[in-house]
Amino acid sequence: MTPRPAVLRLFLAATLLLGSPAAARAQGGGGARPVKIGATLPLTGAEARIGGFFKEGYDLAFEQANARGGLQVGGTKVPVQLLLQDDTSTQATAVSLADRLINSDRVDFLLGTYASHLVQAQSGVAEQNRVPYVNGGGGATDIYRRGYKYLFGLIAPVELLGDTLMSWIDAEQKAGRLPRPARIALLWENTAHGKDFRKGVSDFVGKRKDAYQILVDDSFELSGKDFSALLGKVKAAGVDLFLVDAHLPDYITMHRQYIGAAMCNKAESYGARGSEKAAVDALGQANVDYVLSSVWWNAQLARTNPQAKVFVDAFQARYHKEPEWFQALAYESARALFTAIEQAGTLDRKAVRDRLAALKIPSLLPGGTLEFPADHGQQAQNTFVVQQNMPDGTAPIVFPPEVATAKGVAPNPRCPR
Amino acid sequence: MQRLVDLAVSAVLLAGLYAAMAYGLGLVYGVLRVVNLAHAGVIMAGAYAGWVLHRALGLDPYLSLPLVVAGSFVLGVGVYVLLVRHLPRGAAGGPQSLLLLFGVWLVLRNVAYLLFTGDDHVIRTGYSTRAVPFLGTWLPVNRLAVFGIAVAVPLALHLLLRHTYAGRAIRAVAQNADSCTLVGIDVERVYALTFGLGTALAGLAGLLSATLFSFNPAFGSSELLKSFVVVVLGGLGSIAGTGVAALILASVEAYSILVLPAYLTSAVGFVMLVVVLVLRPGGLFGQRVLG
Amino acid sequence: MTGGRRRPLPAWFSGRVAAGLAVAVVVLAVLPVALDPYTHNLLTLTFLAISGALAWNWMGGYLGQVSFGHAAFFGFGGFVAARVLLHESIPPWVAWAAGAAAAGLFSVGAYPILRLRGPYFSIATIGLGEASRIVFTYLEGFTGGASGLSLPIDPDLKARLYWWALGLLALVAAASHLIRRSTLGLELLAIKSDVEAAADAGVPTALRQDVVLALSAAVAGATGGLSASFFAFVEPNDLFGFDRSISFVLMAVIGGVGSVFGPVLGAVVFVALRQWLVASYPQLYLGLYGGLLILIILFEPLGLTGVALRVARRFGYRARPDLALGSSAARPGRPASEAR
Repeated sequence: MTPRPAVLRLFLAATLLLGSPAAARAQGGGGARPVKIGATLPLTGAEARIGGFFKEGYDLAFEQANARGGLQVGGTKVPVQLLLQDDTSTQATAVSLADRLINSDRVDFLLGTYASHLVQAQSGVAEQNRVPYVNGGGGATDIYRRGYKYLFGLIAPVELLGDTLMSWIDAEQKAGRLPRPARIALLWENTAHGKDFRKGVSDFVGKRKDAYQILVDDSFELSGKDFSALLGKVKAAGVDLFLVDAHLPDYITMHRQYIGAAMCNKAESYGARGSEKAAVDALGQANVDYVLSSVWWNAQLARTNPQAKVFVDAFQARYHKEPEWFQALAYESARALFTAIEQAGTLDRKAVRDRLAALKIPSLLPGGTLEFPADHGQQAQNTFVVQQNMPDGTAPIVFPPEVATAKGVAPNPRCPR
Repeated sequence: MQRLVDLAVSAVLLAGLYAAMAYGLGLVYGVLRVVNLAHAGVIMAGAYAGWVLHRALGLDPYLSLPLVVAGSFVLGVGVYVLLVRHLPRGAAGGPQSLLLLFGVWLVLRNVAYLLFTGDDHVIRTGYSTRAVPFLGTWLPVNRLAVFGIAVAVPLALHLLLRHTYAGRAIRAVAQNADSCTLVGIDVERVYALTFGLGTALAGLAGLLSATLFSFNPAFGSSELLKSFVVVVLGGLGSIAGTGVAALILASVEAYSILVLPAYLTSAVGFVMLVVVLVLRPGGLFGQRVLG
Repeated sequence: MTGGRRRPLPAWFSGRVAAGLAVAVVVLAVLPVALDPYTHNLLTLTFLAISGALAWNWMGGYLGQVSFGHAAFFGFGGFVAARVLLHESIPPWVAWAAGAAAAGLFSVGAYPILRLRGPYFSIATIGLGEASRIVFTYLEGFTGGASGLSLPIDPDLKARLYWWALGLLALVAAASHLIRRSTLGLELLAIKSDVEAAADAGVPTALRQDVVLALSAAVAGATGGLSASFFAFVEPNDLFGFDRSISFVLMAVIGGVGSVFGPVLGAVVFVALRQWLVASYPQLYLGLYGGLLILIILFEPLGLTGVALRVARRFGYRARPDLALGSSAARPGRPASEAR
């Protein structure tokens, strides 16, 4: 008897055993069965740093809810439980774990992971199984263009990031502080994030062709090493505005080479990057002065937004540091889900889903309100905030005016006249 | 016109680094007939070593060079003695050596990941962003330094190989290992020494790269492939060939931005690799890779 | 079998293997009644992994050409299938077949690298894989670029994929056995040992290698297509990624590169390990595979198959020499009894 098919069957049996959910068994509490909410995050792998931040946000929201005794579902208070798994930033794992959370661990709802391609893949599983999926980590508009009913995105589209940045630039141009027409170099990482940023900027420019020209429009590979050729192209084109969408490591590498090539432009931005401490450490404060960044949320919003203040205070008390947009969006996603459950008064997935679709609550997000508009595929459209690095080490919000904490500076004083 | 000059300068500076990376790889293959995929891992290790020394002791990367090179040498000898030595030599060992060293690379990556997490790091010194004017363009100081060191060290090594007994022994073993045993050369020691030298150069290249670029545990894979291009194009053991090949690669990469969208220029190295292997298997200075 | 009474079966047909395979397929086909959806889906992915590993082994094991770029075929087949799947009127199996055919044709385009031997071939495949990834991420019209392509959701199809994948696996497993036992298998072995001598002996080396590569690529492409249906979302950096290429290599080597069914074991262990690691020690994933690779190369080049054979030998079983051939015939330093 040849050993192969027999051993094959043996190992398949082993697979079945290993595949049984050994991890993350729900603890049955005394009294009401807790609401089980599943989520995966990149806790290890390429995006582990940000995955950790998202976890902080989720943890805080769950702790606060349970400190109150749980969620008010109908007549009883029900505790909430987070079943968190590590998806290692891999698509297949994210999908597999979502499958396991839904079908083996029997979670009631799902919170999202971080990174657009993961959210895009994972939300398919949620939609197939009709499980509400609330996420603050996938900003690409493509995710929300599929007509999914159970998917909710708290994180505004990256196109708006580019659009908001351009709005500030526009205001400065109208005030005469930036040239008109302004020539733009637009560089973007070749990811869904980068493509959306590019779309946001080019759409804005498309409506204002008299005021802006895009002279360089190029993508680059994520984690590229040598940008000197690309920067040479930008330098040769002679632009006024240098707009880039990049992740933190590429921001640092590119900006270092930018400075090294003695380049300077009247406005410089790296998309959502700018004021990170790691960048200041790596590049030196003087070299990141006046760099603009456009982000989903910033702790300075606490000065004008009461929900934000409550969040920042609670976060500071718990973690002894200031929160950034990662923790804020994660926290708010969980809070939105909790609110919908309480408003629905039931754990029925369809009812909660309908409540989420109709949700309109005060929020820590810019603009002060959170809702999931159906005409945008249930992706929130809150505005971004633009920050600018100042020589004293701060990065105040300079736009929109309602929440600004300082006036922006243009043109870039770092450049010689 | 200025653009062309800028690109040329860029290419030359980068070529130095490529040459340094490739020389070690070529040395190991030429003598041991082993394709050292762990070269990438050692490049990454060199980068991290420099970073750690810079953080812990405030040691300037160019000063920590001897330490990192020595450390990489020891690492290489260690890998050889513990692992590579047990492989059969020659064609029969082909895929096995590849896979073994690939395994070593994976382990190195994981160790780095456990020690330092997957975050990107960069070595920042006071002169990281300083530049000097030259031919109408600005030359970053650290690129110049990297170029200088990257050219000087392999050159020095090459001269060493020419004029010392150890060097001649290495070249003899590369030609015919069996005959060497007959004349009393300890072939195993030569192998260990060569492997160590190869990894020492990888560590050097990694340290130098770390002063220019950011790095994380996955660092080294594209550098490895570019090293292959240089080795195959330039032939093995030929320092002149390595230099010319590195220049060709760097130039093609730099000038490709004039005709290709920037994103595709990152594919240039890989395409060149395939093309070079298929069309010019003899290398520029003659070394068969077929059969 | 007594001669003369009925026509003897062809040399490549083994009653025992056929029976074993048939039993395994039947068992697996009825298994889903006892499975929860999660394990059901996990097994579907496992079947796809096994098919891919077996097909990779035709190149890496039978032919001795270790490919680090098989993701190029997986990805190309996957995207072609995805493009076809976007037209919902076309039945999915047509899409998958199209993906397989496309991947096979793609490999024919890459045939010049087959002239390269040993490590140079492997390095060229790394270049091929990475170049494919970058170029296809750039070709937004075809792949959707970095945003990828979203396919319509079909829960029934996803469940039925189990049997489609099982069918593909049965085909590929049978083919693996047939190739090895046939004249083609002998020719491949000859090419692997010494391509020039094989050519001198009359083996059409170039044609044989092209055929094997095309078949291997086609199967990889088919698994890519089925995978596209499974995830309902394809993205070039993921499908063409170096990690994916590596997984083919790891599965085959862990299982036993060069053996016939070794990759089956390898793929099962690989998938199971990954599930377990992800739950308990996700940060050790790379190191564990690397360590396994080192141990296998140094101590048991036939991987788990080799280990299983040693254990079986302890119980008095002697494997047929042709069933589990090692990666190369000449291995100095190894005792003669181990040379297979």
